[in-house]
Amino acid sequence: MVVVGAGIVGAATCYFLSQRGFRVRLIEASAPASAASGAADGAVSVASKRPGPMMTAALAGIALYRQLERDGLFAGLFKSRPTMMVAENEKEAEKLVEHSAALAGEGMRLRHLEGGALRQHLPGVAPHVRLAVEVGEEGHAIGYEIVRRLIAASGVTVERGVAVTGLAPKSDGKTVTAVRTARGAVEADHVVIAAGGGSAALLGLPDATRPRKGQLVVTERSPALAASLPGSLMSCRYLLSKDAIRAASAETGRRFGLVIDPLRTGQFLIGSTREEREDTGNDHDAVSRLLASAVKLMPALAHLRAIRVFAGVRTATRDGLPIVGRMPDIENLLVATGFEGDGICLGPLVGREIARLVAGETTELDLTPFAPGRFEPRSLVA
Amino acid sequence: MDRPADIVCDTLVVGGGAAGVAAAAELCRAGLTVELAEQRPALGGAYYRQPAGRAAGMQAGDRRARQWSRLEDELRRAAVTPRLRHVFLGVDTDGLVLLDDRNGGRVRTVRTRAVIVAVGAVERVLPRPGWQLDGVVTAGGLQMLIKETGEAPRGDIVIAGNGPLAVALAADLARLGRPPVAVVEAGDPLARPLAALRMAAFPGLVAEAAAHLVRVRAAGTPWLRGSRLTSISREDGRLLASIEDRNGATRRIRADTVALHDGIRPNDFGLPATARGEPFVLRAGDCREALGVGAAEADGRAAAREAVALLTGTAPRRHAPEVSRQRRAQAVLGALFKPVRDDGGLAALPDETVLCRCEGRTVGQLRAMLTEPDPVGPREIKLNGRFGMGSCQGRFCADNVQALIAAARPGTVAGPLSRDRWPARPVLIAALAAEEETREE
Ligand SMILES: Cc1cc2nc3c(=O)[nH]c(=O)nc-3n(C[C@H](O)[C@H](O)[C@H](O)COP(=O)(O)OP(=O)(O)OC[C@H]3O[C@@H](n4cnc5c(N)ncnc54)[C@H](O)[C@@H]3O)c2cc1C
Ligand SMILES: Cc1cc2nc3c(=O)[nH]c(=O)nc-3n(C[C@H](O)[C@H](O)[C@H](O)COP(=O)(O)OP(=O)(O)OC[C@H]3O[C@@H](n4cnc5c(N)ncnc54)[C@H](O)[C@@H]3O)c2cc1C
Repeated sequence: MVVVGAGIVGAATCYFLSQRGFRVRLIEASAPASAASGAADGAVSVASKRPGPMMTAALAGIALYRQLERDGLFAGLFKSRPTMMVAENEKEAEKLVEHSAALAGEGMRLRHLEGGALRQHLPGVAPHVRLAVEVGEEGHAIGYEIVRRLIAASGVTVERGVAVTGLAPKSDGKTVTAVRTARGAVEADHVVIAAGGGSAALLGLPDATRPRKGQLVVTERSPALAASLPGSLMSCRYLLSKDAIRAASAETGRRFGLVIDPLRTGQFLIGSTREEREDTGNDHDAVSRLLASAVKLMPALAHLRAIRVFAGVRTATRDGLPIVGRMPDIENLLVATGFEGDGICLGPLVGREIARLVAGETTELDLTPFAPGRFEPRSLVA
Repeated sequence: MDRPADIVCDTLVVGGGAAGVAAAAELCRAGLTVELAEQRPALGGAYYRQPAGRAAGMQAGDRRARQWSRLEDELRRAAVTPRLRHVFLGVDTDGLVLLDDRNGGRVRTVRTRAVIVAVGAVERVLPRPGWQLDGVVTAGGLQMLIKETGEAPRGDIVIAGNGPLAVALAADLARLGRPPVAVVEAGDPLARPLAALRMAAFPGLVAEAAAHLVRVRAAGTPWLRGSRLTSISREDGRLLASIEDRNGATRRIRADTVALHDGIRPNDFGLPATARGEPFVLRAGDCREALGVGAAEADGRAAAREAVALLTGTAPRRHAPEVSRQRRAQAVLGALFKPVRDDGGLAALPDETVLCRCEGRTVGQLRAMLTEPDPVGPREIKLNGRFGMGSCQGRFCADNVQALIAAARPGTVAGPLSRDRWPARPVLIAALAAEEETREE
């Protein structure tokens, strides 16, 4: 088995394949979690999803996190906590009511908080906030910690600094025999491409994905303030921002979502932007606006110091759904990419399902909406 | 995209020590508009550190005071008004320089064509068991405190480490009537006659050192050469320093303050990894190469000339004979103070030694990561081991972590635990947040 890419998806795939007794080589252009998985917020969450395949997947993703935490694999790494979706004005409140009705329709447990109950439950939230909806039974995990745990548990030695440059198809074109690297070809019975933004080029689907940058801020520790927040705060603008992406796919302007996440360390993670570019720099304009909206929502944050800013690049797809499954017509080539802002939540689940596909079993999650065949392949990069 | 900025100028100089002040005056004389930003309430830098507020401070030696007033005059004639209490945070991806204006409580953006960064050196302090205890300070930090307040901390003081600064600090303390109970020095300059002979080429340094030594000796402070402080513990509310001499014999010294010092190195926090066109980013003085105050001033001037050349399209070059001279002097000093025996360095530290004081991470925890079969890289170690992740942003541990990685993996080059991202210093969110939300969606 060759797995290309040691982000959370590749690491999980490697783990579940190893569990089944396959011999796996994990080939990574840079280092584990060096791309999106190491520069993300870590909401393991369904709160922002609408009914549909992504909601189903997110629910299964959360369930798997819980199970792996119970089994010990993720012990200490998964923080169970609710998400508080908050509405700061009339427009957002309307949106939130509508959204929470959809969540409730799927059987999710919600709590609506207004007035005194809202103040009591969320004392740190600004007085202008009119409505909060608590989505329970969610959690948070830090991508790079999960990646490391998965790799350590699978016992593989990651081949760091080795970029896969192409695939070697057999003459009948129905299978691949190896992946090409600068250090020579690596033969494999099965190849899984989990290379994030590098996947599409390898698969000959150059237009299927595109980079979407996000900037984030980390604060110093403030255990008392962090403890006053029972979970993460998610501005409803996050929903509007996701809408905007679907409506205007050609748009290049940036959008601001806002999530304030209290971490286990007592620090806060504040994110993030959505920008149609792939550099990982930070600019004052974005960071200052992100923080202004954070302070507006939670005024006491103003007294904390920011100690780090960083940026990561999500891999987005044209239709907003990830690409997971067997490549059409090439029976031993699989792909898992395009998770945009959901890969931390979905990574372990997808790794488990890919391992099932490799083993010839049927998957527990219905992968048809994510089938790679919906994109027109050019030709494999050989 | 050119975003609007709060401050627009041809050139920005960061740091108001010898290098920065000389550079700013020089740029101004060349006809450019100049802003000079200094994080502290007063100019001066490390060597010309001024008394803080109303404190009396410590009388600077005549020579030092004269040199500083010459630099101050030069700045005044050039009509540069420094921006005090402005902390340089870095350069963002739009090419804006970010200054944390602690008077106004706002982060200011600066659009400029060239930045001369002259933020000086930072002290190097090697970890030792117990160095995280209260009462353990750095020698440089203590020296700055003395220069600012004219007072030494209460109780007995031990200075330990390597290099000439320890003696300079001891002399300062003696002048205040508070000589340290011991100066522990890993090297033995008196046993290096060849290097001592070569020092003769630098009479200024020799005279300064001799004056320090005479003062320390007169105060009766023992100068324990060829010795090192191996650990510190706390006993009955005081610190107990274990000192090992060159023959391996150990003695213990009680103290209330232990000041550590293992040399200085350029301060490169928050500097963009590569200059990407304008603004050109140039380093000057100790933050380019730590060579002392004379070299810093000369290099500041040379950097200013280089910046002018860059902005006028002529061939830039850095030319300063004084810098070369001081580089030779530092090399001789290095030989003179070379530790008497190889103590095994970081590799010899016991596992329980705290490596990162912010997050309490130990040498043993790092070693455990390094001996796992999967060869984790520097960034993985930083993130998963939480080394260099605390609020000092790696200022005190990043180098040591890197050195330990390199020691555990001979033959490989451990990349830096990145420090090129802004903010170079923690910054209050109130100051960094935009004044109002300019765009509603
Ligand atoms: C700012 C931000 C916030 C986010 N917040 C959340 C959140 O709250 N919740 C959530 O669930 N998700 C979140 N995400 C999304 C999540 O981080 C990603 O979806 C997820 O990390 C993707 O994992 P991956 O393994 O597919 O890709 P990556 O982590 O990008 O890994 C791909 C790996 O493949 C390697 N690679 C690429 N090309 C090659 C090649 N040719 N050969 C060899 N190796 C190669 C890369 O070096 C990289 O290590 C966020 C992302 C960002 C940027
Ligand atoms: C602890 C210590 C002791 C020393 N003792 C001696 C000695 O005895 N004799 C000798 O010749 N040399 C000594 N040196 C070296 C000497 O101080 C320098 O050579 C000289 O001061 C260098 O001048 P500079 O302008 O390069 O840097 P500095 O004098 O260090 O000036 C740098 C200035 O930059 C400011 N600054 C730093 N970071 C920022 C920021 N982010 N934003 C805004 N401003 C910032 C600082 O506050 C400081 O004022 C010592 C250095 C140190 C660190």
